[in-house]
Parts: sequence; C-alpha cells; structure tokens
Amino acid sequence: MQMDEIKAIVKMMREYSLTEFKIEADGCNLSISRSAGTPAAPAQVVLPAAAVQPAPVAVPAAAPAPAAEAAPAKERETIESPLVGTFYRSASPEAKPFVSVGDKVDPDTVVGIIEAMKVMNEIKAEKRGEIREILVENGAPVEYGQPLFVIA
Amino acid sequence: MAELLHKVLIANRGEIAVRVIRACRELDIATVVVYSQADADSMAVRLADEAVCIGPAKSSQSYLLIDRILSVAALCDVSAIHPGYGFLSENAYFAEACRKHGIIFIGPSPEAMRALGDKAMARATMKKAGVPITPGGDGIIADEKEAVRLARSLKYPVIIKAVAGGGGRGMRIVHNDASLLAAYHAAKTEAESAFGNGDLYMEKFLVNPRHIEVQILADNYGNVIHLGERDCSVQRRNQKLLEESPSPSLPAKLREKIGAAAVKAAKAAGYTSAGTIEFLCDSSDNFYFMEMNTRIQVEHPVSEAVTGIDLVKEQLRIAAGEKLLYRQKDVVINGHAIECRINAEDPERNFAPSPGRITQFIPAGGPGVRMDTHVYSGYTMPPYYDSLIGKMIVHGSNRAEALAICRRALDEVVVEGVKTSLPFLKKVIANKHFSGGKYDTGFVERLMQELANPTKKEENK
Repeated sequence: MQMDEIKAIVKMMREYSLTEFKIEADGCNLSISRSAGTPAAPAQVVLPAAAVQPAPVAVPAAAPAPAAEAAPAKERETIESPLVGTFYRSASPEAKPFVSVGDKVDPDTVVGIIEAMKVMNEIKAEKRGEIREILVENGAPVEYGQPLFVIA
Repeated sequence: MAELLHKVLIANRGEIAVRVIRACRELDIATVVVYSQADADSMAVRLADEAVCIGPAKSSQSYLLIDRILSVAALCDVSAIHPGYGFLSENAYFAEACRKHGIIFIGPSPEAMRALGDKAMARATMKKAGVPITPGGDGIIADEKEAVRLARSLKYPVIIKAVAGGGGRGMRIVHNDASLLAAYHAAKTEAESAFGNGDLYMEKFLVNPRHIEVQILADNYGNVIHLGERDCSVQRRNQKLLEESPSPSLPAKLREKIGAAAVKAAKAAGYTSAGTIEFLCDSSDNFYFMEMNTRIQVEHPVSEAVTGIDLVKEQLRIAAGEKLLYRQKDVVINGHAIECRINAEDPERNFAPSPGRITQFIPAGGPGVRMDTHVYSGYTMPPYYDSLIGKMIVHGSNRAEALAICRRALDEVVVEGVKTSLPFLKKVIANKHFSGGKYDTGFVERLMQELANPTKKEENK
C-alpha cells in the first residue's frame, strides 16, 4: 500500500465523515480511526514480515453515507412504499392477500395496494425474490420509503 | 381557536418549518411536518408531533407533490395546512385543492392569489384602486409594433416582464431601440418555457431604485392593517441579503402614504392573511407598486421585532376565522431592526452554493438578538434546496444601536464546515454608505466592485 493510497483514504474518510476504516490488501493490514472534527491519524499499518499471504480478504470500506442517513450496508432486502397512504394487503376486504410469506415474486407482481386520496394504487414488487416477512399491518398508514416486506 | 385548528400540517422545510411549528406549539396546536428523505435529520422533523416522509430529495418528487401532501393531511386528520414560503405557498391550484378537501389553507384565497399572481392584472387592479404603479403599458404587449410604441412613449430604459413571472425571473432590461425586439422575443421564449405563459408587459425601468415593501395583515372580515415598511434594497441579483425596518431613507410623510397605499392595495385585491406589497422608490421619493407577495416572507421577523406582533400566530388566528386583534392605531413601530440572511455560499467564488456538513454551529445571542435557524452542529446542508443557514435579527432602540448589536453579533456567529456569506455581511455593515443609511438596489454591486478594485480614496470603516 502506497502513501498516496493512504492519503486518498484519509481524504475520503474526512469527506464522508467516516470514523473507522479497515482494509487487508496487497499483503498489508491497514486500520484507521478518527474522531469527527479532527484530522485522521493513520495508525497501525502492519506489513507482514515474510512470505506473501494468500489472497487477502478485502474488507470493503463502509459505504459512503448519503447526506441524511449514515446507514451501514443494508442487512436485508426490502420492498419499500413508493407512496404515502393507507396500505392494504388485498384488493378488497373479502379477497385473499396479494402475497403471503413464502410466495415468490418477480418485478411485476402486485404485492399490495396503497390508497391515497381515494385512489387505489397497485404496488408492484419491482424486485425478484421470496417474501420473508410482512412489515406493515393491513390498513396501516405508510410513508414514502417505508419498508413493506422483507424479500430474499 | 384550538378547536378549529386542532392540527396543522407544515408543507415546508428548513427554518420556516421550525418557525411555524414554534407558533403552533405556543398555541397548543398539534403539528405534522412532511419531509423528503434528504430532510430526515432536520430540526423540523425532530420538533413536530408527527412527521411523514413523502418522497426522495428532489422537490419535484416531494415538497411539490400536492397529492402526497393532501394524502398526509387526510391520513393525519389535519384541519389546516401552512405552506411556508416558496414551494406551494403561492400555488393557487394547491390552495384550491385544500379548499376542495375541506382543509383550511393558511394564506389568501385562490382567487386573490390568482389575481395578484398575474402581474399585468395586478397592475390593473392597483391602477384602478388609485395605488401608484410604475409607469408602463396597460396589459399585455400585443405584438412587436406595440412593444416599439410603448418603449418610445415610456422612454428608455424600459423593462419587459413576464405576466406569469415574479421574484426577479423572466425579465429583460432594454436601453435602446436596437436591442428592443431581440429582448422582446428572448423574454417571450423564456417566459413560455419557465412559466408556460409567454405573455409580457412593459414598465419604465427605474435605475437603482430603493426596494421598500410593506407588511400587511388582513382577516376574513375586511379588516386590513399594515406593520410598517422594510427596506430590502441590499440585494445581489434580485436576491435579498439584508433587510431593515424602518427604512433609513424614507421621509415620515412618505411612510404614511406608502402604508396607506399598501392597505388600499390589499383591500382592492380582496386579500386575507399575511402578505407584502413591494414598492420601488426613485431618487425623487416617488413610489410605485411593483408586485404583491401572497405569502409569509423570509424577512417577516424584521416587522415582528419593531411591532411586537407575531405574524405567524396572526396567520393561524386569521385562518381560524378570528378577527384581527389589532387596529391600525395599535401598531406602533418601536426602535429599529435589521436582519442578516446567513447563506451557505462562498463570496470568494461569486457566491457559489456551499452545501455540506456543518461541523460546528454557534449562534449569536444576548440582548436584542434573535436567530431563526434549523441548523445545528453536525447538520448537513443538503444541496437540493435553498442555501439559507439561518436569519439573524437584531433589534435596538434606534438604528445606531441596532448596527452596533449587528456588528457584535455577526462576530459571534460560528459556522464551520461550509462557506458562508458572513464575511460579506460584515463588509456591508462596516460600509459607510450603508451605516449612513444612504443606499439603493445598486449598493451591493458597487460594494463588490469596490472590494474587487480597492482605491486609496475609499476608506470603508
């Protein structure tokens, strides 16, 4: 690992307000930590003494945080609400729910309805996978971006 | 009033959302704020009783989506919506939609909004009511021939403006016959694409006028009062940087006349709630109606400081159907107030926006200082909206004291992590023309030129 690369990493950490960075690459083990507001102090660059290590596990840097939410990489995949309104699991009170846990869906599968201003909007999965969990109750209000289902 | 307005939805963000939430809390009105994903960590979201995400960062996919906002209003069972300023605050269609859904819109009626939003119609209304208007043509410029005829009768320089425009957009200043037709067609095309309406009107262009605006309040029963004037001549490219009340250059007799004209204007337009009538004053102290802003404005705290009247609370009361608490004689202008707008902009790079994370924020304080801001240490200024960090309003017993407080307070404010307009504001306050109260809308341009080319003669103390 060259000094230039380390400098670039330090700059990136400052830019994205990251506090910790660890990487194992090129036979070297680099760990940097900083407290917000102070310049990063590179620490503990450990170069293995002898033989080249087998292909190291590259630990990816924490994903650059978007402005508002410093969130770690998502642990689970979800289907989120594209609207604000009331969420319904079926087309009508008597009908079967569109999807249940265990159902396989593809991008065009209708997974629910969100009613907004008296208009019923069909919500498509937009993803492929299997419904693992239903996060919202039938008839509950939902906001934009709110996770509705866990999908795998 | 709590019964009629039990819950208010704030359809805005930033410092004005915080401002409205504060007024509601003091009146025991529950609050709901809508927010985009970029504002999830905003102060308004933290302070409101309920907060609902309505879209991604872009305004056109969040704060401007009428159906989403009304959806939230229905879900949360609100009685009224406060639109703040900008966004949908002057959108007659939105005001109409609120009315249709049985939700009180905290502002004027859609009819008054439409009448004043059409600038040519507004001029005609004012002319009929006997409010002086800038010399200009009556109505829309029909064709090229009329443009030429009008320009010749008004005498250059003239300004061509979009009927559906406002706030400094869609205009062309013309100095001579040679550039007239090109400007006419350019303005038309621009108006067409920006406002969907290519209609234009023409006025005499006043060179470096003073921008004097009057704050009014009107209830639903025909009562209208004014709260004095604000001098907003310190502008850069039609964007206000600093406002003060009273205006240091307005003779007392003119003050009465302008106030009376503003009340007349509001009545002629059937206006209700808070609003501002903008006038231009020329070097001979003639004043002319320019346009009316049918919303609460950024600089409203300046008038609150000198009158002691809480404008947002009055908007809430008016919307709840209450009569105005104050009569004109109850409005007394006390002392002097100055507001500085602190923007996340870099004065060294032509005021380029400077979004980013504010690593440290320390507001000014002490007697006579009010800071209206949504910002805090660690807050990230998103790049999707305006660059306003906050407003610092100072109030002294006279202008000299207000200036001293302003100077002192500007030195206290700390904003680290982004570039701000603070250094430029300090130069404005230090400038002898400004502190002497002798400035017009050309002031900022001249100051910037002076700063770029300092001469031995100019001693800016």
